[in-house]
Amino acid sequence: MDPVRHDEFDSQACGSIAPKVKACPRPKPGEAAGGCSFDGAQITLLPIMDAAHLVHGPVACAGNSWESRGTLSSGPSLSQYGFATDLTDSDIIFGGEKKLKDSIDYIAGRFAPPAIFVYSTCVTALTGEDLDSVCKEAAERLGLPVIPVNSPGFVGSKNLGNRLAGEALLQYVIGTGEPEPETVMGVNLIGEYNIAGEMWDIERLMGSAGIAVTSRITGDARYKEITWAHRAKVNMVVCSRALLGLAREMEGRYGIPFFEGSFYGAKETTYSLRQMAYLMNDREMERRVDRLTEREESRLSQELRPYRKLLKGKRAVLYTGGVKSWSVISALKELGVQVVGVGTNKSTQDDVRRIADRVGDDTEYIPEGGASRIIKTVRERKADIMIAGGRNMYVAMKEQIPFIDINQERHKAYAGYEGLLRLAKELAYSLGNPIWKLAASPAPWDKEAPPYDR
Amino acid sequence: MTVNRRKKPVSVNPLKIGQSLGAVLALQGCYRAMPLIHGAQGCSAFPKALLTRHFREPIALQTSALQEMDVIFDANRNLEEALNLVLSKHRPDIIGIIGTELTDVAGVDYQNMLKSYKRERNMRGGLAFTVVLPDFRGSLESGFSATVESMIDEMIQQAGHRGARSVNSRQITLLPGSFLTPADVMELKEMISSFGFEVIALPDISTSLSGHLLTGFSPLTRGGVPLDSMLQSLQSGLTIAVGGSMERPARRLHNALGTPYKVFEGAMGLKATDELLHFLHQISGEPVPLRYCWQRENLLDSMLDAHFQFAGMSVLAALEPDHLYSVSGWLEELGVEQKALLTSFETPLVAGMEREVWVGDLDDAEVLGKGADLWISNSHGIAGAKRVSAAFLAAGFPVWSELGAYMSVSVGYRGAMEWSNRAGNLIMQREAGSRESSVRHR
Ligand code: SF4
Repeated sequence: MDPVRHDEFDSQACGSIAPKVKACPRPKPGEAAGGCSFDGAQITLLPIMDAAHLVHGPVACAGNSWESRGTLSSGPSLSQYGFATDLTDSDIIFGGEKKLKDSIDYIAGRFAPPAIFVYSTCVTALTGEDLDSVCKEAAERLGLPVIPVNSPGFVGSKNLGNRLAGEALLQYVIGTGEPEPETVMGVNLIGEYNIAGEMWDIERLMGSAGIAVTSRITGDARYKEITWAHRAKVNMVVCSRALLGLAREMEGRYGIPFFEGSFYGAKETTYSLRQMAYLMNDREMERRVDRLTEREESRLSQELRPYRKLLKGKRAVLYTGGVKSWSVISALKELGVQVVGVGTNKSTQDDVRRIADRVGDDTEYIPEGGASRIIKTVRERKADIMIAGGRNMYVAMKEQIPFIDINQERHKAYAGYEGLLRLAKELAYSLGNPIWKLAASPAPWDKEAPPYDR
Repeated sequence: MTVNRRKKPVSVNPLKIGQSLGAVLALQGCYRAMPLIHGAQGCSAFPKALLTRHFREPIALQTSALQEMDVIFDANRNLEEALNLVLSKHRPDIIGIIGTELTDVAGVDYQNMLKSYKRERNMRGGLAFTVVLPDFRGSLESGFSATVESMIDEMIQQAGHRGARSVNSRQITLLPGSFLTPADVMELKEMISSFGFEVIALPDISTSLSGHLLTGFSPLTRGGVPLDSMLQSLQSGLTIAVGGSMERPARRLHNALGTPYKVFEGAMGLKATDELLHFLHQISGEPVPLRYCWQRENLLDSMLDAHFQFAGMSVLAALEPDHLYSVSGWLEELGVEQKALLTSFETPLVAGMEREVWVGDLDDAEVLGKGADLWISNSHGIAGAKRVSAAFLAAGFPVWSELGAYMSVSVGYRGAMEWSNRAGNLIMQREAGSRESSVRHR
């Protein structure tokens, strides 16, 4: 496959930093689903594992959300702590800035993190607290980066929150540090959050091809490595439209070329690795990547053979809330699974175009969520399995539809060649489980039977 | 005795859970209900995800999806839109509009909005009510009980009869506290009805969140107490409230209708169960069913068996106020040391406890509970328990680290036995683990 230059993509996405052409749609009262911008900002930044993440607001924003993501750490775990200023009535009346300042001091003193991220929430945004100046003052006083993240929930969707977090990184983090002189520079992985350890699989692959990871933005990241992200040679945006703006801006500021790619499916994985080597402008590396991908692909197709047999012709409805849709479709296609319905809920026009490139004409697009709508599609299109986020898992169970969790809360890694094999196994296991037959058969006394002769 | 707080500006690893989540939970126990959170999107997405994770069931919930400009200009326009949509699309029997900190700080008057909405559309038959639940007060428990109270209020208003009503003395209204699992509510219903009473639980999560399958999906709640039973409960001869937080809704029924009530503050352990069964025996004149006599023996015997395990052991518990009170009563009977008791906010019940109680977070639990052998809290406590190397027993909300947690029983003799065995087993396993690691390999 020919490498694709990034300038072939337009900037109409919700995720672009450039002036928006098309605004993100307004959520519909009474029918809205999905998280808020604050949630989105956390998704992006919580994987910076050694930093402290302080939520400024009443307790629920933090209390209801901490420890809810499947992002894994290979070491430090401070980001798994739930920090909240836990505002009370009187804090709201008299202002919470003093409490915020004290909280920052306390965290700095007790946990000595390399940085503190401070999130505004709806209430503190509404009362007009000056997060930026409290953070700035604290940073100077403590000699520690204290980064305001202005992404209160009510400004918009999760996607917007991802983007605002990306902007915070650009403004306060990237470019503020330098790597050790002997560090080999390579690729920044942008928008890969190490769900269920997926990034480790990717890193291993890159390692075998001799491609170094410069900064992980932000799966299993350390604060420091993001400060020198501007020294990377290539940016890869890992199927996350929301952070495209970050990559664009880094190209403008630091001249780092970027591409969009994915690691779902062997084809996409191979393409992404090739693209890295190509943009690094390293012949030797390209040859290594070719050898590696050939080897991996042929091994994979060996191992996939029994599963392909089982999965061939199976029909799936995919509902991931947008960003991952097109990349997961490729993976499923390689396994012989036909996607008969796909969610385009949060997809941009660009995403939709890519989805269209990858599915057949008779695939149904599911524009707005609502579990009933998804189920209807499953029924009408006679799908065998539903692939969606955890929120819809038990909906599927209620309807006795085999299900695979594809979103942040899951425990299985599906990226890379290994991941595709895992996905195949998971699909086969899910479809073949005896429970579907058992659950569909009534109790013996409920079966219609002729009454006993007495 | 006293309620203490550790001095610390920031909450680290919060134990507190937003009040609105308690409201959503209460409404799950009503049939064909739709909780509607009046706030921004995240305020419904987080509770929905969390409740789904705990109960492993779909959760009925909607939001008015406020955005910045809506809050500033006209938040109630969103609410109206949401109401229109929910009413026309799903036709719920019950709608609970839950105000958030956002509507509170912005000073949105949605109570009056609902009133005029109902008037204009001549809404009858269903039950629609509002409840004000900003998150900077209380916790899950207070949100739950306030919602039940508002619900009862609305029922009384709608029924319109004050004083004059026909009373069914064989019918009891059960007000189960927020800390009770679906299996607990089931057990309580069974216990009360075994004395010949009809029981109406308000709300009744035992028939909605207990994991019954094969009913298909609905955007509204499935199972739970239906509206006509709810209204019928106004005829009950008695209210039984379980958990101190449920006293207020019980009092509401008493003040408006004169229904006498009895509050059982503790619900766990031998004494608490004795008290409940004895009370039921006295008011019904029926003998205590044989199976409970058996269970009592079984419990005592298992406590005898287990007391060797618990000798010299110390326990830390971090739970919502009513739950903490209950669990502490059971720990008392086990004879273990209660190293630290923590709760999310202060209530009269915990303030009146004979033991020292701390209002704080799970980080305080780590500090106060250093050296404890057993740690009892929601699943957020796993990491802390590991750090102080205590055995971990998941309880309260949310629990995602175990299957079937929502079906575990804590009330009645059976519940006390189950918990004693669970706790004892955990301590045994921990000991076995440490013994193994102390063996020297050569
Ligand atoms: S919508 Fe606002 S108040 Fe609600 S969880 Fe998100 S940030 Fe917090």
